[in-house]
Amino acid sequence: MSERYRKYYPAAGAAIVVILGYLSFFAVRETEFVLVTQFGRPVRTVTEAGLNVKWPFQTALYFDRRLRIYNPRPSEFLTRDKKNIVIENYVLWKIQDPNRFVQAVGDATAAEMRLHDIVWSGLSAALGTHDLDSIVGTEPDKVQASSMLDELTALTDRAALEQYGIDVVDVRMKRLNLPEQNKQSVYARMRAERERIARQYRAEGEEQALSIRADADRQKEELLSLAYKQAEDIRGHGDAESTRIYGQAYSRNPGFYKFLRTLEAYKKVLDENTTAILSSDSELLKVFMKGESAAR
Amino acid sequence: MREIGGAMKNWTARQVALAALAIWALSGVYLVAADQQAVDTLFGRVVSPRVLPGLHYALPWPIQRVTKLKVRQLQRLVVGGDLPDSVLGRSQPALSQFLTGDQNIINMRVVVQYSVSVPADYLFQTQDPAQLVGAAVEAEMARRVTHRGVDAVLTSEKAAIQEEVRAAAQKRLNEYRAGVLLSTVNIESVTPPPEAADAFRDVASARADTARIVSEAEGYANDLIPRARGQAQQMLSESQAYREKKTNEALGDAARFNQIAAEYTKAAQVTGRRLYLETMEQVLPRIRKLIVDKDGNLDLTIIRKANPPAGK
Repeated sequence: MSERYRKYYPAAGAAIVVILGYLSFFAVRETEFVLVTQFGRPVRTVTEAGLNVKWPFQTALYFDRRLRIYNPRPSEFLTRDKKNIVIENYVLWKIQDPNRFVQAVGDATAAEMRLHDIVWSGLSAALGTHDLDSIVGTEPDKVQASSMLDELTALTDRAALEQYGIDVVDVRMKRLNLPEQNKQSVYARMRAERERIARQYRAEGEEQALSIRADADRQKEELLSLAYKQAEDIRGHGDAESTRIYGQAYSRNPGFYKFLRTLEAYKKVLDENTTAILSSDSELLKVFMKGESAAR
Repeated sequence: MREIGGAMKNWTARQVALAALAIWALSGVYLVAADQQAVDTLFGRVVSPRVLPGLHYALPWPIQRVTKLKVRQLQRLVVGGDLPDSVLGRSQPALSQFLTGDQNIINMRVVVQYSVSVPADYLFQTQDPAQLVGAAVEAEMARRVTHRGVDAVLTSEKAAIQEEVRAAAQKRLNEYRAGVLLSTVNIESVTPPPEAADAFRDVASARADTARIVSEAEGYANDLIPRARGQAQQMLSESQAYREKKTNEALGDAARFNQIAAEYTKAAQVTGRRLYLETMEQVLPRIRKLIVDKDGNLDLTIIRKANPPAGK
């Protein structure tokens, strides 16, 4: 080395240190896995975030370790009872084993294609052992959709991890629908059902109204007849009481009663239209005809 | 200028390097605003997962890195929907259709509001938290709706479904470590499909008709029964009045009779005659009288003459 370059030695040394440092240290973020390869051959996987060291001749490959969501296109499936249903899923997955992933799959698009196949075949197999009313139905103890999906998730996870180094976190049904060609008949059925319900409501309303009216009429009759019964009873008491009073009073002097009552009756019976033919021998006219002596 | 420039010229390279180092070191001071939280990483590893508002220090780039998040800000998301496509002017019916347990199709639009609960998870655990939230809510919604009848979804159980979906989706998101907090899941609209909408409306009007008919009948009953009660009361009162009247009249008559009878017994013959004559006095003046002899026969033609048929 020439003397005249000696003064550049420290600078050159520093540059070499920086370059070696740059090649030897690498930061791993929380969102990443790093696969360290040596001339293309994977030597180790770094899963802990932070600062790491490698040989300068080794290469760091970065993989996104975050949870990803994959939405396969809605597909039509056949249930055990031969009914068609359109299901839209979502699949949550992440890279678990970068080494296997890079060898078997490569990138996310390829991973999604593989996941599509696993999930699709898993789901059609699962639905083939379930009736439609265990997926879509109002009877809670018949519905098994959740446990079916749990099994499907476990199955998919096992297959994906083994083959592709992928961890399938969850497979869920986002949307269930009926095939387009069935929808018109579904709408027709819905309409018929609504019409039935509307008719039923109207008839039930009529029923309720009639029974309310009839009940009111019945209550009215009941009230009035009860009142009649009580009223007649009370009147009867009045009549009985007055009869008793009369009887008591008159029985003390029946002869006088008869006489007095007869006189009373004359007053009422004999009116302007009566013509009386009086005998001169009568009590009233005896004196008139025969003089004072007849009065005795 | 010249003075400063002169001073600068006098600085050694070492002093310049120290000044640069100082400026670099000071650039690590950062501020977290009141509505924010921050996550601090050292060479990619999280060292402070939740830095609260205030003035803080972190080693400057490239050693530490600070990411700030507006944690309190509610983010809004629409699931399903029938949102009209503003560009093309069409709606997407298939996106809003849900299948109910009794195999009816309904259109739903659900609005989700969420905020960040765990900043480190929100930043580092999932690629697309918003899409994850939407998927979780949609899956739970679909599950609830496929287990219920269309009437329950449309009316009575809407609120219950919202709350169930919020709780279940939150549980799932926690399992996924999404770091979000669902504040509301709101079923903004739920409608029958247009193809069957009029039939659904007819059910609603049938329900209204029923209510009307029933309330009319109740009106009838409310009118009838009080009237009948009044009438019954009237009958009772009348009968009581009758009883009182009869009794009092009888008492009055009896008292009068007793009074007269008492006097009569004192002078029976005279009183009897007097009573008889008094009665005759009252009776005879208003009637026509024919007086005949004791043994005489009466020629009734006289009566006919005196009392012509027309006058009768």
